[in-house]
Amino acid sequence: MGFWEQLASNLVFGILLGSVYGLATMGLSLIFGVLRIVNVGHGAFLMIGAYAAFWLFTLFGLSPIASIFMALAVGLALGFITFYSVIKRLIGAPELSTLLATFGIGLFIEELAKLVWGPDYRGYSWDTPYISLGISAISFSKIYALLASIVIAFLLFMWFKKTKLGMAVRAVVEDKEGAMVCGIDVTRIYALSFALGIALTVASGVLITLFVPVGINPYMGGEYTLKAFVIAVLGGLTSPWGAFYAGFIFGLLENGSYTLLGLIPDVEPFSLTRFIAFTTLLIILLIKPTGLLGGEEM
Amino acid sequence: MRGVHTLLIIYAILLIVGLTVPGMWQPVAFLMFYVALGQAFNIFLGLTGYVDFGYVAFLALGSYGMAIAMDSLYQTGLGAAILPIGLLLAALMSIMLSLAVGAVALRLRGAYFAIATIGVNEGFRYLIEGARLWGGSEGIIITGAMRKIFGREMANFISTMVADVLVFGIGLLAALTTYVIIHKRMGYALMAIREDEDAARVMGINVTKYKIMAFITSAFFAGLIGASAWTLKMTYVFPSDVFLITYTVEAIVIVMLGGAGTLLGPVVGGITYGLLKYYLSVILPGFQLLILAPLLVAIVVAFPEGIVGYLKERVRGTRFEGYIL
Amino acid sequence: MLLKVEDVTKRFGGLVAVDSVSFEIKEGEAFGIVGPNGSGKTTLYNMISGVYQPDSGRIIFDGRDITDLPAHARAPLGIGRTFQIPRPFPSATVRENVAVGAMFGRAQADVKEAMEISDYYIELVGLSEQANKAAGTLTPLEKRLMELARALAMKPRLLLLDEVMAGMNPKDIGNIIELLQKVRQEEKIAVVAMVEHLMHAITKFAERVMVMHQGRKLLEGPTMEVLNDERVIEVYLGKKIREGAEGAEGHRT
Repeated sequence: MGFWEQLASNLVFGILLGSVYGLATMGLSLIFGVLRIVNVGHGAFLMIGAYAAFWLFTLFGLSPIASIFMALAVGLALGFITFYSVIKRLIGAPELSTLLATFGIGLFIEELAKLVWGPDYRGYSWDTPYISLGISAISFSKIYALLASIVIAFLLFMWFKKTKLGMAVRAVVEDKEGAMVCGIDVTRIYALSFALGIALTVASGVLITLFVPVGINPYMGGEYTLKAFVIAVLGGLTSPWGAFYAGFIFGLLENGSYTLLGLIPDVEPFSLTRFIAFTTLLIILLIKPTGLLGGEEM
Repeated sequence: MRGVHTLLIIYAILLIVGLTVPGMWQPVAFLMFYVALGQAFNIFLGLTGYVDFGYVAFLALGSYGMAIAMDSLYQTGLGAAILPIGLLLAALMSIMLSLAVGAVALRLRGAYFAIATIGVNEGFRYLIEGARLWGGSEGIIITGAMRKIFGREMANFISTMVADVLVFGIGLLAALTTYVIIHKRMGYALMAIREDEDAARVMGINVTKYKIMAFITSAFFAGLIGASAWTLKMTYVFPSDVFLITYTVEAIVIVMLGGAGTLLGPVVGGITYGLLKYYLSVILPGFQLLILAPLLVAIVVAFPEGIVGYLKERVRGTRFEGYIL
Repeated sequence: MLLKVEDVTKRFGGLVAVDSVSFEIKEGEAFGIVGPNGSGKTTLYNMISGVYQPDSGRIIFDGRDITDLPAHARAPLGIGRTFQIPRPFPSATVRENVAVGAMFGRAQADVKEAMEISDYYIELVGLSEQANKAAGTLTPLEKRLMELARALAMKPRLLLLDEVMAGMNPKDIGNIIELLQKVRQEEKIAVVAMVEHLMHAITKFAERVMVMHQGRKLLEGPTMEVLNDERVIEVYLGKKIREGAEGAEGHRT
């Protein structure tokens, strides 16, 4: 395969994977937008989704697309538990407290996963037909992932715009005191938003498994925490929609640069793309700390 | 000055126990590593209220600094002078990284800063492995170089004794530095930044400047600890070892457990944590983080002032006031 | 002229918070800024103290253009302020709080000097008994006094007070006004007091006032003249009184 074919095929892959990145980051941005809490343990929740997909497929033969519903339910439950056991007690505490607490929660989930499922890398393969795009063949599973991400993002969008509860969340984001006066139970909105954010993250973990066939292990999340931060900052940090778009941009950037780095002799492009994620973050923060796509709120 | 007395007494007890009780030097050295790590990290997390999730990168670069010095200079005939050169290079490399990260990220607020640091250690590890820097993923082994420089026996002595003494000294120096900072204008500036950054700014405090100063100081000590406690002691550096996030977690737990921003906190936190870890590694080998993580969450939720912070409040107004700082 | 604000404008999204406002403050002057909530007063303060940069216009302090200067570089020139909602450094003592002002404001004191300056101003505002208490434990009123002491310890040439008299009884207000007149005369500080209500206090304190309304300067001039102006009564006071108790209370106290 020539360089241009390789680049084009990697970019297509980037768009598909980027949709899942975007979905994963929506959860992070939703939580930050509503609660002003950075979920440093983000990746651990994503890892739970990946394991959910793995076990549901391996034990019950459930397709990953069906697993998304299970993952959303698991995520909501996990989110509510985490909120009411820890996060609720830290509302109004210094920022440092929530950073450390979510960091600790993430580590705990990872270690628990290691204890229960062991440290080994796991994977499964969901056989779906391939579609030829002329330059390369793409598995349908990845296209399903793209569609699923878009559908979930769209449903969330509609939920915010059309439902009473969704509007209550937006009201809390815009004016907490005002929302309180209007009779909105702010703590409940916080709980719901947190749980929803976690649910989105867990669901994205299911979809990630369609891209990393044998990459499921307790520590897989760290990489995605970093990527989600890059994407969130790119998308404005407080806006789930900005995050969703930014996911595509990052997917393209990552897979494009992977191809380009492959041209340099004597380097490992895979390791270097991870370094690039981190430097991209610093560069974005240097240029425009509030996010490249503007700080448009919900 | 009484707070320093308490500090010096604890250090003296540790030193005496380590040197006089047979077989106690290694356990004391084990605790001293955590005390020193806490002291170094406290200068940043404790004094600014900012958290650096990539802190281990400073220790890692420090350990590389020492390894590079040994590895590239052992044939020059500089002899024992390579040791201070290595420490200097270690400090320099950590400071350079802290400048690069700090200059970008410390202009930002807490959450953005934390986000910017979360990838620093992994990012660097992948840079070293990906670009095959400094031996890439194979790391640098300096066992041979150290023997050539110092001779077999002296090299052994450096690994088993000098390295620990250095860590001990670095920890003490970091503690004294903390004491000096707290009582200078810089300490007041950092207090103001920690409590209310916007108000601090309007009061005339150049918040970025003081945050960077604390960051560099903290990174400096971290680099020296990495060079001594890892490179000199182990005589090798592997990227997969020295960039482990576990060390960052340990540093955070020690500082928070002892009491962030207090002078004695890292000592109390480091010793408590060291003992805890020792017994945990006996009971639950390989699963320290499983205990550490909920411990951290519990401290943050229920005990954010830490042991020393709590005691400091309790003795306020009694005759013990001032001994606990 | 100590401070010249020239045609400054600040927008937040589509909202124009401050709309080409100009005014001047002389050295040692007692100046009042009056305006209802949302009239742009606090935004104006934030631009003078450097929290925000204006979108257009210039701010000249003591002959120097400080429009682009960051907040921390303005305090040492002699600009001190308090906040509408007090912002103490809560776990530090009152003494330490005020000392921070002395260290990093125009005084640029070292730690020892700062403590002495701190003690002086703490006594001046009457908080000596609270000096060693954590500032977070003070009552709201005490916090306001502490902020005043902290701003004074900066040795400012321009002191910007944001609702410093809110929530005080007439006796306290009398004391504060006396104190402000004292520091004005002794230390040649220009004092700007910004109030939403408390018209009576402003007439007692300020030589000149500026009335703001919806981000614009409505009127500026000698206090009594301005506050009795028909437009001011109509647009601001009159409306307020007719609206009910809030404005009336402001008038009474």
